[in-house]
Amino acid sequence: MRRAVAPLLAITVALVLADSAVVTLALPDILQHLNTDVDQVAWVLIAFNIVLGVAAVPAALLFGRTQPRIFTAVGIAVFALASAWCALAGSIDVLIAARCIQALGGALALVGCLELLVAAQGDRRGLAVWVSAGVIGTATGPVMGGLLTEAISWQAIFVVQVPFAALAVPAALAVRADPEPAADRHRPAVRPNLTLALLSAALTAALFLLVLLVVEGWRHSPATAAVTVSVVAVAALAARPLARVLRSLPGAEVAAGCLLIAGGLAGLGLLPSANLAWTIAPQALVGLGLGLTVDHLTAQAMEMRLPRAKHAGWTIAARHVGVVLGLAVLTPVFTADLRDAQEPAQEAITSLVLDAPLKAADKIALAQSLGDALVGQEGRVPDLHQAFVEANFAPEDRTAAARLERDLDLQLERAATQAFQASFLIGAGFALAALLTVVVPRRRRAP
Amino acid sequence: MNLRLLGLPAVALALVAGVLGIQLAHGGGSFEPTRTADPCAARQVDSVSAGIDGLTERLVLLGIDGAACRLHLSREALTLELAEPEPPTDAELAALRQGLLDAVRRMKADGTLPPASALVREALDAIELNGLLKAAILALPDAVVDAALKTDDVLTRTIDDLDLRDLLTNLEDPDDLARQIEPVLTRAVQDSLTERLRSLL
Repeated sequence: MRRAVAPLLAITVALVLADSAVVTLALPDILQHLNTDVDQVAWVLIAFNIVLGVAAVPAALLFGRTQPRIFTAVGIAVFALASAWCALAGSIDVLIAARCIQALGGALALVGCLELLVAAQGDRRGLAVWVSAGVIGTATGPVMGGLLTEAISWQAIFVVQVPFAALAVPAALAVRADPEPAADRHRPAVRPNLTLALLSAALTAALFLLVLLVVEGWRHSPATAAVTVSVVAVAALAARPLARVLRSLPGAEVAAGCLLIAGGLAGLGLLPSANLAWTIAPQALVGLGLGLTVDHLTAQAMEMRLPRAKHAGWTIAARHVGVVLGLAVLTPVFTADLRDAQEPAQEAITSLVLDAPLKAADKIALAQSLGDALVGQEGRVPDLHQAFVEANFAPEDRTAAARLERDLDLQLERAATQAFQASFLIGAGFALAALLTVVVPRRRRAP
Repeated sequence: MNLRLLGLPAVALALVAGVLGIQLAHGGGSFEPTRTADPCAARQVDSVSAGIDGLTERLVLLGIDGAACRLHLSREALTLELAEPEPPTDAELAALRQGLLDAVRRMKADGTLPPASALVREALDAIELNGLLKAAILALPDAVVDAALKTDDVLTRTIDDLDLRDLLTNLEDPDDLARQIEPVLTRAVQDSLTERLRSLL
């Protein structure tokens, strides 16, 4: 059991932080299964991050009063039970409520795992394991969520977390750690936490919006989207060797990371086509930026600062408030842009149908089916294929009809891509704001 | 020292500039839905159908262009507007009628309006008429048919008499559409012939 303690606690940290974005790829499925809309389904993400952000510091205060293992075990148990409840949710309201409880347990679990990892492995190593597990969880969350949704269902995302968390409960109880005095010895590190918050907002744009664009806008499967966004995680792992080659200063790494994330997001906002290959280079920039920044900033915010749990709480709060900021700013922008994109898309489709080399009667029948498809999927990018199936073209017209269907799909892809453009560029703005917090010189204290 | 401070940011800047440069060079930022064309600019319209169907389709496409130009809309916006469940407005109907009349004039001017003799056989097949009368009409030389019946005149009369409001609500049913157009077209042919005879006498 003793050997399994640290890995189980690290997995718990990764799971909780992965949960911040794990449902991103499942959102389209949740949207359909729970019969809701984009604005509401975004709250499955927002609610978790708000509660985690708000509860992190108060949760940290609890650890100064009692045995860390007790609160940690309670937190992990609540997280596990709430995960099971998420999987059983039959309505969007229940799912959002379960996600709030899950985040509450997650806040206790995150702070508690830090205390227990430090107790089990020492200050430096414990903190390093905690930070690394968080980065891995954040980077791989959407990928794992997408693969589980595609292979099984969106509920599977929550079900698989239960056994890991259940095993972590006895692991937490097995670690003896003394409560840390609650008295503040150091002030919270404002600058790294602010940079973390702004970068989290930018990374939310990168992961949340890209996934929605690939699945909802370009109509790829969640598994394809998962493989696509895994570029971010892979590039994040490559960041450290690159930094080692150049032997950069930590500040330079963070500045370069912010620049890379801003550039990657601008690249996602300026895609030349709906080909997935075009997303690879911008995602690689985002991933490299993620790898150069998050662990450095987290360590900067916590290293040599006591009480450790409280500073961990501030860092968790900063990251998740950043995620919420990103979602709160970006969700209304891209949903409004998606609505605005309908008119040019419909006009482009109408133009192609009017000029299509098909018989007039076929065009009228197709136009009616297309109209039904557009009305039936109000607020989402429609699937036009059924309209072409229903039109039942004569064999000699099928080649022209197939070409028309491809052209119409291309117009939808163009409209969806354009609808996400402003949001990606706003995300790039968050990363540039984060860069400002790094490069603006500190005020010198009066001697 | 400088390399440790500026090396990585310089590499990052170069990577970002490279990626964005390649994307912009390949049309990044302008991947958006095709813009609608100016309906007031002359447009080449084609149809895969021949005979009356082809003529009707070209007329309608040019007519929508003309109507959209009068209403200061794109033809696509007007088409979507007309496809709405709400009945068309008087202004839309008036613009559509004028657009169709403009289309007849334009097709006559550019020589794309077929002579009546090219359409008469297909028209006779489609309408209920005494067999002997049909045979008599078919026996007439093309020159006589074209001299007696002018396509633009028949189309203009048909467009003037058509109830466009009813026509637009029946677009879904081709049989209903034919039932609506047939009597108007027959009357237009009769009126055109009568007018011609009157002018000859």
